[in-house]
Amino acid sequence: MLLFLIRRLLLAIPALFGLMVLTFVLVRVVPADPAATLAGETASRQQIEEIRKKYGFDRPLYEQFGIYVGQVVSGDLGNSVFSNRPVAADVRRTLPATIELIFSALLLATLLGIPLGTLAAVRHNGVLDHTVRIATVGGLAVASFWFAIMLQLLFSMELEWLPLRGRIGVNIGAPANVTGFFLIDSLLAGRWDQFVSSLRHIALPAITLAVPALATIARFARAGVLDTLQRDFVQYETAVGYPHRRIVWIYVLRNSVIAAVTQIGLLFGALVSSAVAVEAIFDWPGLGSYAVQAILASDYKAVLAVTLVVGVIYALINILVDLVHGLLDPRVAEQL
Amino acid sequence: MTRFTRLALAGALALGLAAPVPSSAQADKNVLVWGDTLPAGLDPHAIFDVPMQFILLNMYDTLYRYSGNPPVLQPWLASGHNVSEDGLTWTFKLVPGVKFHDGSPMTASDVVYSFRRLLGMKRGPAGAFLPVLKPENVTAPDAETVRFVLDKPYAPFLAAIPLVAIVSQKQLEANVKDNDFGSAWLSANGAGSGAYRLDPASYRPREALDLIRNKDHFKGWSDNPKPIDLVRSRPVAETSTRVLALMRGEIDATDSYLPTDQVERVEKNARTRVARDESMRIFIIRMNNKKPPFDNANARKCFAQAFNYEGFNQVILKGYVDRNPGPNPRNLWGNPPNLAGYKYDLAAAKASCDKAKAEGAKLDRELEIHIQSELEQTSQAAQMFQADLQKVGIKMKIVPSTWAQITSATGKPETSPDLWIHWVSTYFVDPENWIGQMYDSQFFGTWKASSYYSNSAVDELLRKARSTSTQAERDKLYQDATTRVVADSPDIWVYNTIQLRGLNKRVQGYKFSPVGGGGDLRWMSLSE
Repeated sequence: MLLFLIRRLLLAIPALFGLMVLTFVLVRVVPADPAATLAGETASRQQIEEIRKKYGFDRPLYEQFGIYVGQVVSGDLGNSVFSNRPVAADVRRTLPATIELIFSALLLATLLGIPLGTLAAVRHNGVLDHTVRIATVGGLAVASFWFAIMLQLLFSMELEWLPLRGRIGVNIGAPANVTGFFLIDSLLAGRWDQFVSSLRHIALPAITLAVPALATIARFARAGVLDTLQRDFVQYETAVGYPHRRIVWIYVLRNSVIAAVTQIGLLFGALVSSAVAVEAIFDWPGLGSYAVQAILASDYKAVLAVTLVVGVIYALINILVDLVHGLLDPRVAEQL
Repeated sequence: MTRFTRLALAGALALGLAAPVPSSAQADKNVLVWGDTLPAGLDPHAIFDVPMQFILLNMYDTLYRYSGNPPVLQPWLASGHNVSEDGLTWTFKLVPGVKFHDGSPMTASDVVYSFRRLLGMKRGPAGAFLPVLKPENVTAPDAETVRFVLDKPYAPFLAAIPLVAIVSQKQLEANVKDNDFGSAWLSANGAGSGAYRLDPASYRPREALDLIRNKDHFKGWSDNPKPIDLVRSRPVAETSTRVLALMRGEIDATDSYLPTDQVERVEKNARTRVARDESMRIFIIRMNNKKPPFDNANARKCFAQAFNYEGFNQVILKGYVDRNPGPNPRNLWGNPPNLAGYKYDLAAAKASCDKAKAEGAKLDRELEIHIQSELEQTSQAAQMFQADLQKVGIKMKIVPSTWAQITSATGKPETSPDLWIHWVSTYFVDPENWIGQMYDSQFFGTWKASSYYSNSAVDELLRKARSTSTQAERDKLYQDATTRVVADSPDIWVYNTIQLRGLNKRVQGYKFSPVGGGGDLRWMSLSE
């Protein structure tokens, strides 16, 4: 298992390097001049050229890339060409908000999706099964920005149950930063008001993100359970009189959720991209919102940093999924 | 009660769903929640855009300052100024007793430092001064006097003075790292003397910023008996969310670019209103005058006559804009009286196109118009224009782009698109900000002069206006230049903006000025 982990981590390095090359080239071939952005709106052509020289934008692209890789290897993501702040500080500030949102959505999707899929399979071709199938198709088809606005209109504007936007109440203030996750930091600080406010604020964006993920997980769980229910050991356990619930929720489920777990790993990547729209609508101050601002401002160092960080997280999640696979299925563990 | 119902209820209680949530702004009656955009950083010498005006107006003071609409330039940190007869030496006398937020006194040395810092960094608003002012020519003959010696006469110099925030030399010099002029520090801190001071602990870039009233501000507070003590700036990025947040009372003010289709909605809400103020911000469709077919005057006229001004301004934008027939805002001096501009007339457009074709202009290729994807109006204008051009036999493709890409592409005539759309806002209140920098060929390569229009007579008039000291004479020169530019039709000038800001009705004393867009907090109060 340890060897597997080391091997996968080493394999991730060339993948991340490839990602850096691709992103660097893409960001720099886009016809947006960082020197012009940096010089500002009243700048003359001469001023722009001076800025280009000062910041090294006049050097060949491979040279600029070499300097950038050197900085990244030494742990420096550089300064934003626009705000002059260290990009790493901006990523540290915004990443926890996105991770907290995605994990909340995945948790919600998993906790609801697996039981729903299982129930649908157990009551195969029944009313519940048909309902779940129709609902999951709907969940996959619905556009997240539309669904988000509908949730805002219903729960914030009409019923006034939940806040419309933001991460925490304006007059409550953020909890002292320990992990960056407001739900955890507020509990660590013993601030119940901050915890409740954070929970209320995350509810609607997390539900918006969770719906398509829930649909995917439910469909895979249903298919897995249906397949397992046909296996000999289920018939044997039923014949010897094991309680039906025990068979379904312990033995069948354990043998059925492997595909769903793989999906959860893949969903993480999908949720990172969906989070961009959801963060914009709910004004969630995460990495997605930061990336959009960086792209619009041609802040190429910020764009590179976001891509690299998301790439690293994606690689780690995939490794984690493989490890969980091994834990769930000893046959897989032997192959690792 | 079934198990499921119990579970659902428990979940609802955990989220606190059972009780309605009071809106944030209402929860504290003495706090203003400002929902307008924040700049990328807080250094007023590094960034110069519309959001930075909010920081400049509230956290900093300037030698002179604009207020009112139309904006009037008034002495602020300076008690007055005088200019030498040759127009080169400008001397400003400072108001005594001004203190920075850290309690240290402001002296002429801080003013000199601020201008030298700006000129040294060569960013933000520096472009307005670099062609005429060297850092060493800003001096302080004594603690209350600042002297500027210009390289050549530059009449708009005073108009550009409010662009420069006066920062504390002591605070900045203590925070310089790697010769960065203290910019990294100032991007997240304040070093000014303005009516509001930053609470640095509250600042999260582009996300949150709290401003606390500076009770010791040098102007005092006698003109506002109930000023707001705490302002929480909480920008809302998405338009739909911003409007809903205002209607729900989570924020007290939107930005001042409320989409016209949202105006009615906001006005119908019992809690909110819309402040409408004519600004100085021109919507323009640019044409690359160096590239065929736009190097032909009749071809340009054809396009100017094929744009449906009434349809766009009155129908699509519901009349919440004013037709602007020329390059200067219609409410600014320097415009010829009764300037008519071009009218939508497809028959006339076709005739102009035919003339252009007869002169050899090639109008048969598919042209490209670059829009700013994130700004819906640019797309609406392009789509309407595309349909009308088709009627006169011209094919036009709409290309999505961003402001950064457009300003980069327009750096050279060879890389400039055929057409592109943008606004020109009020950087300083002088025709130099519009016609002066848009149509004098010496500015080629900048986004303002990106249509690459060249007319030696116009160049001469604009240069003369720049170096002439009396406004009456400058007015005549700009009028003459405007008449010539409009006759040549280098661009399509569509409208002057009416700025629309959604406000909670409890916000009182809101004063709009085209400079700053109404973000000056010192006049505002909150009703009970």
